[in-house]
Order: sequence, then structure tokens, then C-alpha cells
Amino acid sequence: MKVNLEVSKADSFRAFYLFFVVHTLQIGAGLMGVPRILFLEAESDAWISILVGGLYLHFIAWIMIKILREYENADILGIQTDLFGKVFGYILGCAFVVYIFLILLTVIKNYIEVVQVFIFPEIPIWLMALFLISLMVYAILGGLRVVVGTCFLFFFLTVWLVFTIYKPITYMDIGHFLPVFEASPTEILSGARQMTYSVLGMEVLLFVYPFVDNKKHVQLPVHLAVATTTFLVLLVTVVSIGYFSPYQLKETVWATLSLFKIISFSMIERFDFIAVSLWMMVVLPNVILFSWILQQSLHRLFRINKKKSLYGIGILIFFSSILLEYRLDINRLTDITAKVGFYLVFIYPVFVYLALLIRKGWRKGRSL
Amino acid sequence: MDTQVPLTKEEYIKEMKKQFNDSPDLICKEFQFRNQTLVIHFVNYQVKKDLLERDLLGTLTSAKRAWSVEDLQNKIPLASSTVERSLANISPALIHGSVSVYIEGESQVVLFALPNLERRALNRAETESLVFGPQISFTESLVTNMNVIRWRLDTDDLVVEKLIVGERIKSEVRLVYLKSLANEENVQTMRQRISDLKVDEVEDTSVLGQMIEDSSSTVFPQLITTELPDRFCNSISKGRVGVLVDKSPTTLIGPMSFFNFFESTEDLYMRWNMGTFIRFLRLFAMFLSIVLTPFYVAALTYHYEIIPSSLLISLGQSRATVPFPPVIEALLLEMLIEFLREAGARLPTKVGQTMGIVGGIVLGQAAVKAGFTSNILIIIIALSALASFTAPSYLMGSAIRIIRFPIIILAGAWGLIGIVFALSFLAIHLLKQHSLGRPYLAPLYPFEWKDFNDTIFRTTFQKNDRRPNYIMTKDRYRFDKQKSNKKNDVKRI
Repeated sequence: MKVNLEVSKADSFRAFYLFFVVHTLQIGAGLMGVPRILFLEAESDAWISILVGGLYLHFIAWIMIKILREYENADILGIQTDLFGKVFGYILGCAFVVYIFLILLTVIKNYIEVVQVFIFPEIPIWLMALFLISLMVYAILGGLRVVVGTCFLFFFLTVWLVFTIYKPITYMDIGHFLPVFEASPTEILSGARQMTYSVLGMEVLLFVYPFVDNKKHVQLPVHLAVATTTFLVLLVTVVSIGYFSPYQLKETVWATLSLFKIISFSMIERFDFIAVSLWMMVVLPNVILFSWILQQSLHRLFRINKKKSLYGIGILIFFSSILLEYRLDINRLTDITAKVGFYLVFIYPVFVYLALLIRKGWRKGRSL
Repeated sequence: MDTQVPLTKEEYIKEMKKQFNDSPDLICKEFQFRNQTLVIHFVNYQVKKDLLERDLLGTLTSAKRAWSVEDLQNKIPLASSTVERSLANISPALIHGSVSVYIEGESQVVLFALPNLERRALNRAETESLVFGPQISFTESLVTNMNVIRWRLDTDDLVVEKLIVGERIKSEVRLVYLKSLANEENVQTMRQRISDLKVDEVEDTSVLGQMIEDSSSTVFPQLITTELPDRFCNSISKGRVGVLVDKSPTTLIGPMSFFNFFESTEDLYMRWNMGTFIRFLRLFAMFLSIVLTPFYVAALTYHYEIIPSSLLISLGQSRATVPFPPVIEALLLEMLIEFLREAGARLPTKVGQTMGIVGGIVLGQAAVKAGFTSNILIIIIALSALASFTAPSYLMGSAIRIIRFPIIILAGAWGLIGIVFALSFLAIHLLKQHSLGRPYLAPLYPFEWKDFNDTIFRTTFQKNDRRPNYIMTKDRYRFDKQKSNKKNDVKRI
């Protein structure tokens, strides 16, 4: 495996789109349930956890870009083999592949479950999976240009949902936030850790970086994306804490979606139906981009034909999502994925960076 | 077999007859003249008879001495004369309206072009009508169309290339663009695609369009076909490439973005704010036309909760007698509208008006009275049909009407999820399209905020100094923006 990639002009995209790529990947199934998870950890001080978590996200984004800038045009798979040797590089690469596969599966499963709970109790799982996977295959067949395009387009098709939150805001009770600083530092930190779970997806940067056209301007869009994500999570959590009573929030699994329930227009009585259906457009870029990463990694690691691996991924995801049936299973899977993701995405890059620094110093010492 | 002159007179006449498959239309006339034999050939209805008799035959017979080929070319008061040796070349010229003069014994035949063109005069545009602005439309004649284009685009920068397509029945195709603006790659793509065609014949511009489009599996047109000279010339002067085909009243322009299909030149003739508003109206109408009926079907089949309770009562009342599920009801009515549209297009105009009344009013009213459909659905269907007719491009309008059917069925099967699935598919589908290799969804994706000026909004002409990026014109700017806003003629009080 070559460390650096050769990218054709047709496949590359402007750094500007990184904002949408990173942001849409962070926002996905996770945002639907984040308020409750954070509330369980840090109670009314959950917003502090988010700020702490957001800061850490920025730190990791900074580290990732630092790592990638050490190389000319490499992704994490190439960097790993270069740093840790072929064997460990492949093992770590496989770890990434397994992790991405798991996260893809959880995203799909979680969304299907939401649809079943909110709109269609009897819609078959295989049908929903087929919907998502067929769109995924269709988009990826168009190449990276279309993949990035879906992130971009679907961001604008769904971002307006944020503005409907004004209604719950008017019903907020500030008293729910008092007293401030109740939670202990450990609770806040574990809240921050929980927050990072639900915004997994920054790792995409490690894979798409070689395809960015103007690499000089990578910092700004990535940090803006992370900031926007943090802001959205903060907004949703704060409004949920203010809107729901503490007891209610602990019982509401998808608090974000439940917020939509009181929104109504003169033509539309129950907005949550539309919001949940439209959430498919939030989930789709996730599905598409993660599968693209899978396809790309398999191609990089094992030289598997891209089209074949894409169909393979589609079939595999389809059957695994049918077989995984119970809520408890999905929950366990989500937890496991989140833990793996936490170490792989939020801890591991720091080590890679340290290793890079050590190697640099060692080489410098030797050359003296 | 290529037969060439010189031949004997008898051989020449025989060979010519053979070339024309013994057609009775080929007129052959012999003149005995000062010990010379002249043989004149022409096709009966292809030649201007008065010119032939007065200028050609008159001069020929009144000459003082014997004719030679040089004399024929120089002394006859007709502008276009050519000499030709091969019979295979003479017969196409005769078909196009030439008269051949053969002097026995000479090695060449002289051809005079006296074509008699039976053509329609320039008329008002029928399919793409404008309220105000230039009213003429192209005709079937390439010569007339080129004449109009040269008149509108009065510049020597205009390049016109001639291409011939069709293996069996040949058509003349003209590639039109501005040399200083049009991107070489775009021109080359268009030229290449046309000259690479291996087909028997090209019936019409829209047929040529389908043959050279980037993707033929999609319902969306990727090149604009227009019959309006002002629209054509406007696009050319923006740096696009245009194509004309002889015998077709429509022209082809590319590269085009999806949003260009919702532009009309009328937007330019109105004030910018009106123009922008109308453009938005059309885009909104397209969205409405796609979504409205499926939404009704989805809401009534699965999601009653969405409908406000006050509306739900009247809806329930009007649907109480309807025996079908909403999908069938909606499909039935959509079909009715499509039938009406198709019948209206096929029928002679005089009957067409009665059709509208019979179909629209009588059928609609009766359908509701008979309990076939609900009143509200009639409103919705009429609204979405109306909305789909706002698209200035007829092909785009039809595309929108067609994609509505699968979405209605999806909505009937899986409610809102089906609709969102269909819309997502549509979005990805549009993302994948290209027009002459340029992205179809530009300037939305690839995102170019400044290009919104010329496609989605319409700003004042003074501010619109940039040519759209996705056309990749050689000269990106129309004028210097700094200078354009100054008005230094009047001191305002």
C-alpha cells in the first residue's frame, strides 16, 4: 500500500465542502437522543459538559490536521503503515474498517427504530434498510463528487429544521437549570465523553483529506463544522432541559424529535411526522459517506474492486440490519461502537501525533 | 460508380436519367445553337422558373457567338455558378435547386443555383410564448434562422461551423458560438458528439439533442431546446454553444444548468425584482407540483394527524362517499388531467377549447357528484397541474409531470417516508447529471454564490458583472463593476 494517494482532478473537492462533510457526518442519528444521555450524566449542568466536549473536539480536529499535514497526500491508513509498519498498519486499518461498519449499522438501525416508534410501527425493517441502502449505492456509484454533493445538498434541505425550535424555546423554564455547578467534575467529564459519542464522524477527515483540493484552507471549515455541531448539540440539549421536566427528560429517549411534537402550522398540525421523515435526509449523508469510507479503505487495504466491495457492503449491511432485531441489541451495539469510536477517534490520533513527533525527533537526532 | 464528363450527348442524358432513377421530375432540355448542342437539366419544382427563363435561357439564346465554359461562368447575370465534372456531384446540386448547363464536347458542366425555397414565413412563437419582448420564432428553414441570428448577433465574433449528420439522409447542422467567449472544451464536446454520430438521419433538433445528451436514461433534459431567437442569442452571448439543424424550427443550447430551465427571457425584460420573483415562483411551483398530490395521498392514507382538525372535518365529509383509497383516487384524477393535456395537444385548435370545457368542468363536477373523488383533491390536482405548466421549458414541464406518478405511488405505499425517499433519490439523481460534461446542478453544487445572480435570482444589470462560472467562458467579466453604477449626467436636486 502506498502511503500517499494519487487523486485525479475529477475526484477532488474544495476545502469549503469539508464543513458540510464533517458537520453532516457528526450530526446524524446521535443528535436525536443526545439530550437525555447528557442529562443522565450531568443533570442540569449538561451544557457545561457540551462546552468541555466541544473544546476537546476542536483539539482533536487540530491534532488530526497536524498529523495529515506531516504527509504530502496521505490518509490515516497510509500513515499507520508508514508509522507502525505493515503488520500493525493493516491491523489498525482493519480496526477502522470494523468500526466504520459498526457505526454504519448503528446509524441505520437507530433511524429505522425511530421511524417505527414515531410514524410506522409496522413498517418492515428490510424495507427501510432497502430504501437507505439503495440510495447509498446509487449515490456512491456517482463517485466522491456525488457523495460530497449529497452532504452539501442535504445539509441545506434539512438545516431549516433548526429554526422550528423557536416554539419550544418559548415554553422553556429557566428554573430547570438552577442551581448551576451542581454536578461534580467527574460527572461533567463523563457527560463530555458521552457527548463525543454522539458526534462521532470527525474521523472522516482522516480519510477524505487526500481528496481536498486546496489543503492550505482546511483548518477553517473543519473547525467551523465542529463549532456548528457543538452549537447544535448545545442548543438542542439546553432547550430540552428547559422544556421537559427532569423526570420527563429521563424517560424521553429521543428528546430532540419529541421537541418537534408541539410545533404546528396552520396547514400542518403535527410537525414531528414531517421532521422524522425528513430526518432520513440527515441520516443519508452519514450512510453514504461511511460506506464510501468503507469502500475506499477496503480498496486501499486489500485492493478490492470498488464496485464489488460497494455491492458487498450493501448486502452485508442489509442482512445484518435484518438480523439485529431487538432494542436491547441495538443499544448494546451502539454502546460498543461508541466505546470503540471514542478510543479510535478521540484518543488514538493523539498517540499517532506523539509517535510522529518522536520519530521526527529521532531522525533529527540521528542525522546530527 | 462515379461517371465523369466528357461524354457524348446521348450518354450524358442517359447517365443523368439513371442518377435520378428515371424520375419524371428531372427536366431535360436540348438547344441547338450555332452548331452547338446545349443540354439543360433541372428539377421541376426546385427551381425558380422566372429567373431560369429570363436570366438563364434568355441570355443563353440571345448570345452572338458560341458558348464556352468560361463564358457561361462570366457572362451570365447569375451570382452563383460552379463547374463540376462528376455526375455524382451534379445530381445533389440539382436536387437542391441548381440548373446544369452542359455543352457537348466540353469537359465540365456549369451549375447555376436558382433554388426555389417553399418556406414558412417568420411567425409568432407558439410553444414558448412571451407576454412581451421579441415575438418571432425560428422557422424550419436553416437559412432563415441563420439570417435572424446574424441580425440579432451583429458581430464578427460569431463563429458558424457547418457539420453534416446522417448517413443515409443528410442534414445540415450549424454550430454557433462566440469566438471570444465560448469555452473551447464546450465547443469541442459539442462538435465531437455531433460529428461522431452514426445514424441514418436526424429528424429534428430535439432528436439530435437526445442523441448527444450526457445521460439518456434520465427524464430531465440536459440541453435546452428553444424556438425563440432572443433566448438562443441571449445564451450564445453568454458564452454557450448553440446548434441549429436544417428542417427544424427548434434550436439546441448547452451547457445548461438545471435552473436555466426555469428561466425565461421575459425575466430580463421585466424589472429585476419582478424577474426574480417570477423565477422564484416557477421554482416553487415545480416543488409544489411534485409534492402536493403525494402529500395529500400520504396524509390521508397514513398520517391523519398532520391535517389540522378543522380541515380534517371538511376533508372527511368530502371523502366520505369515495370508495377508493387515496392513491387510486389521486392516480385517477392525475390520469384525467394528463388525458386532457394530451387530447388538447392532439386535437385541432377549434375542438380543443370544447375539450377543455368538457374535461375540466363537466368531468370534474360529475366525478365529485358521483362520489368518485373529493372536492379537495380536485383543487390539489388542478393546482399541481397548473404549477407544472409554469416551467418555461416544455420538456422540463413534462419531466416534472412524469416524476409525479412514481412519487404518488410511493406516497400511497409508505406515506411520508416514501415521499422523502423519492425526493432524496431525485436530489442524488440530479447531482449525478451533467450537461456537456459540466455539472447540472451548478451553481448550487458546485457551490458558487456569485453565480446565483444569473441563474436563480436576477439582480440589476449594473451589478451583474460576472458571467456564470460553470459555462467556463474565456472572459469571466462583462464589464467593470466599479464604473457601471455612476450616473453623471444629471445633478439630482
